[in-house]
Amino acid sequence: MPDFVVNLFDNFWVALGGKLALVALMIPMIGMAIGFAEMKLSAKMQHRMGPYFAGGRWGWAQLIADGVKFFQKEDLIPEEADRPVFKIAPIFVLMGTVALFVVIPFGPGLIFRDLSVGVFYALAISSISTIGILMAGWSSANKYSLMGGLRAAGQLIAYELPLVLAVVGSIILAGTMSMSGIVEAQIDAGYPYVIFQVVGFAVFMIASLAELSRIPFDMPIAESELVMGYLTEYTGFRFLFFFLAEFANMFTLSAIAVTLFLGGYWLPGIPADTLEFAGPVILLGKVFILVFAMIWFRWTFPRFREDQLQTLAWKWLIPIALANIMITATLKVFL
Amino acid sequence: MVMDQDVARHLSDASVSVELETADMTLNIGPQHPSTHGVLRLVARVDGERAYDLKPVIGYMHRGYEKLSEVRTYPQITTLVNRIDWVSGYANEIPFVVAAEKLMELEVPERAQYIRLILTEMARISSHLVFMASYPLELGAATPLFFALRERERVLDLIESVTGGRFHPNFNRIGGVKPAYGSGSSTRKMVQDLPAGFFSETRKAMDEVLNAVDELESLVAGNEIILIRTKGIGVLPPEVAASYGVSGPNLRASGVGFDLRRVERYLPYEDFDFEIPVGENGDCWDRWWVRLREIRQSASIVQQAIDGIPAGPLQAKVPKVIKVPAGETYVRAENPKGEMGYYLVSDGASGPYRLKIRSASFSNISILPWILEGVLVPDIIAIMGSLDFVLGDVDR
Amino acid sequence: MTSSPSDIESTTLSDYADQVAAVVGGTGAVTFDTVKVTVESSHWEAAHRTARDELGLVFFSWLSAVDWANEVAVGDPPGEEVEERLEVLSTVSDISEGRRVTFTTSISNESPAIASLVGVYAGANWHEREAHEMFGIEFEGHPDLSHLYLPDSFVGNPLRKQYPLLSREVKPWPGTVDVEPMPEGPSEENPES
Repeated sequence: MPDFVVNLFDNFWVALGGKLALVALMIPMIGMAIGFAEMKLSAKMQHRMGPYFAGGRWGWAQLIADGVKFFQKEDLIPEEADRPVFKIAPIFVLMGTVALFVVIPFGPGLIFRDLSVGVFYALAISSISTIGILMAGWSSANKYSLMGGLRAAGQLIAYELPLVLAVVGSIILAGTMSMSGIVEAQIDAGYPYVIFQVVGFAVFMIASLAELSRIPFDMPIAESELVMGYLTEYTGFRFLFFFLAEFANMFTLSAIAVTLFLGGYWLPGIPADTLEFAGPVILLGKVFILVFAMIWFRWTFPRFREDQLQTLAWKWLIPIALANIMITATLKVFL
Repeated sequence: MVMDQDVARHLSDASVSVELETADMTLNIGPQHPSTHGVLRLVARVDGERAYDLKPVIGYMHRGYEKLSEVRTYPQITTLVNRIDWVSGYANEIPFVVAAEKLMELEVPERAQYIRLILTEMARISSHLVFMASYPLELGAATPLFFALRERERVLDLIESVTGGRFHPNFNRIGGVKPAYGSGSSTRKMVQDLPAGFFSETRKAMDEVLNAVDELESLVAGNEIILIRTKGIGVLPPEVAASYGVSGPNLRASGVGFDLRRVERYLPYEDFDFEIPVGENGDCWDRWWVRLREIRQSASIVQQAIDGIPAGPLQAKVPKVIKVPAGETYVRAENPKGEMGYYLVSDGASGPYRLKIRSASFSNISILPWILEGVLVPDIIAIMGSLDFVLGDVDR
Repeated sequence: MTSSPSDIESTTLSDYADQVAAVVGGTGAVTFDTVKVTVESSHWEAAHRTARDELGLVFFSWLSAVDWANEVAVGDPPGEEVEERLEVLSTVSDISEGRRVTFTTSISNESPAIASLVGVYAGANWHEREAHEMFGIEFEGHPDLSHLYLPDSFVGNPLRKQYPLLSREVKPWPGTVDVEPMPEGPSEENPES
C-alpha cells in the first residue's frame, strides 16, 4: 500500500470515517444480496421464476428498484400514533444490527474493532432491537400492531436466553470472549468447534431464527392473522429500515454462528498468509450456507402458535443449553 | 436513608393493586383481512390472546339472489347461480336445473348426465385444491399454495375447454347440458360435443392431480408444526354439527359418513365406485385430511366416467320458452362445501314464484360463535380456514 | 307412538310421509319427491321436537317462508287465485339414510308470528334472523332477532311480494320480452350429437 494512504489511515478520525463509510456501504449491499437470494431461492422451491425483468434476465436489480420505490413513497403516520416513538422505532431496530457488524472477524486482523468481550457485546447489543419492535407495536395506535408487539416482546425475551447459553460452550472451549480470539483458538485446535458443540450450534440456530422473527417463529408478524403485526402501519423508508434490518440481521447472526462454531474465516488446508484475502470469501461462503438454511425453513414450515413457541424455549432449549454448558465445562476440566 | 419529599408524595399517590387490572380489547377481524375468505367480519372481545363472545357480521356481499330470481326466467337464473359459490362454479347450477327438470318431469339424456357428473367432480377437485392452497398459507406455510394452484390450473383448463368459462361455466340447460352449435353464418351447422382430445387430456390431468395430491400429502401431512397447529384444535362433535346444519366435509370429519351423492338421486353416482372419507375426531386436521382424500376419490370418479360415458343427445326436447308447471320441490346436492339445495316454488310462469337457496357455507359458519368461544387468536384463523367457506356462498 | 328410524327404512316416500305425519301430528304429502308435512302453526315447535327425538331427523337444513299474495309489486302474479298467507317452511333430515322432511305451516300476512325453533335446532338461529328481516316474521323465543344480511338501518321486508324493486319503479316489468331470443339451432328439435 502506498505510504501516504497508510499514514492517512493512521489518523484516528480518518480511520473512523472510513470504517463508518464501509459499514454504511456494506449493510445495504448485504441486505439486498440476501433479499435477492431469498426471492430467487423461494421461487425455485415453488416452481416459479422469481425476479425476472428488473436488470435483464436475472432480475438482480429487483431489490434496487424496491429500495427506490420505498424511498419515494409518501410518509404516512397514523393520526393517533405516538409520533416521536413511531419515528425512532425503526432506527433502534437497525441500530442493533449495525452495531453487531463491529465485532465480526472477516479475516485475521480484518475486524472493525477487536473487543476483548466481543461475544458479550454482540449478544447484548442485539437485544436493542427488541425495544425497537415494542416501540413500533405500541406507537402505531393499531390493535393488530399492539398484539404483534406484545407477542414480539414475549418471544424475543424468551429466546434471548437460549441464544446466550448456547454460545457459552464455545467460549469455554476457546477460553476467550473475543471473537477473533475464538477463531484463532479454532485454528490452533485444528477443528471447528461444531464437532463438539453440535447441540450448542443447533440451539443457537433455532434461537437466532426466533430472534429474527422468521417463520417458523414469526408470530409477531403473522401475516395471515395480524396483517403485518407490528409493521402494519409502516410504509416507505421506515419500512425499508425494518426490511433491511431483517436481512442484515440474518447475515450478522449467521456470521456469529460461523465464527463461534464453524471456524470463521478459516478452512483447514488454507495457508495462513492467504487468509487475509481468502478469509472474507470463506466467511461469506459459510454464512451463505446458513442463510440458505434459514430461507429454506421459512418456506417449508408454518408458524408456531405463541404458547407452543414459549414451551419450546423454556422447557426445551434452555435446559438443553444448560446441560450442554455443564457437560462442556466438565469435559474441559477433566480432559 | 431519608426519603425525598417528592418521592414520598409520589409513592403515596400511586395506588398499588395486588391484582393487575387488565382491560379487554374489542378486536375487529375483517371485513378486510387476509384470512377471512372474503368480507366476513368477526367482532370479538379479546383478553390477551383469547377471544370471547365472537359475533360474525355477514351480509357485505348480499346480492339478493332470492328476490332477483323472482324476476328472472329459468335460463337466466342458471347464469346467476354459479356465482354463489364461485370457487366451484359448475356445481351450483346442478340442483337448480334438476329441480326445474323435476317439475317439468323431463328425462335428461344419459350422456348429459355423465357430462354433468364429470364437470361437477372437476369442480369439487378445483374447490378442494383451493382449500389445500389457502389453508397452509393461513398457518404460515406459503409453499403448498403454489403446488396446489398449479394443479388447479389443469382442471380449470379442462373445464374451460368444455364450457368456455373457468369459474362461471353456465353450461347447464334445463333438460341437459348446452348443445354446442357452431356459430357464424355457415350454412352447414356443425354440432360439437365435447372438444377433441378431451378424454386423453382429462386422463393425463387426473394422473397429474393424483401425483400432486401425493406431493401435498408428503409436504403437509408430514410436517410436525402443521400437526401441532391442527390436531385437537376446533373439535366439532357430530351432534352439534347436525344441529347447526354443518354439512359436507366438515360433517364427515366429525365421524358421520353421510354423503348426499349416495342418498339423493340427482346425478348417476350409483354407477361409480368410490369411497366416502370419514374423519375421526372432528378437529382441523381431520377436515384437511378428509378433503385431501376426497380429491383422490373425485379423480377416480372422473376417470371411471370418462371410460364409461355413453353416446346420445345432450339435451332433452324442451320448448323454446321454458315454462315450468306449477309445483314445489326441494332438491339438494353434495356441493364441495356441503349441502346445497334449492326449494323451487313454481306457478306455471317462465320464472319461479319463489326460489329458496340453501347454501352450504351459511350454515357452516353459523357455528362460529359456538366453536370459537375462548379460543386463542391464532387458532381462530386455523379453525375458520378449516371450515372452508366462501362469502358468496354465505351471503348469496 | 314412537318409531325409530330403522322401522321406517324400506318404505316408499308416500308411506314415509304418512308415518311422519302420524308421529308428529299433521298431514303428509309427497310433491315431486319431496316429503311435505303440514302442521298447525301452534304445533310448530312441538312437531320439530318430536321429529328430532323420535324420528332421528337431527340435521337442520333450512328455514324460510313463501309469501302467497295475489298482488305483486314486481314479476308476475300467481297464475291462479291463492289464499293470501305466509307459508313458513323448514327442512330437516337425518344423517344416516338421507330421509328428509319439509315441514310447513301457514301464518297470517299481517303481524306474522310463530314459535322459534332455536331450542330444538341450534342452526335455526340464523335462518330465523334472515326470515325475520326478509319477511317480517316475529319468532317468539329467539334470543336476538337483529338484522343478518341487511344494514341495521334498513326498513322494509324485501322478500315480501309487495316490496318494490327500485329499478322496476323506473321501468315497468316487461315480462318475457326481457328474454334474449334463443340461439338459432338447425331446427326446433335437437340433432343427435
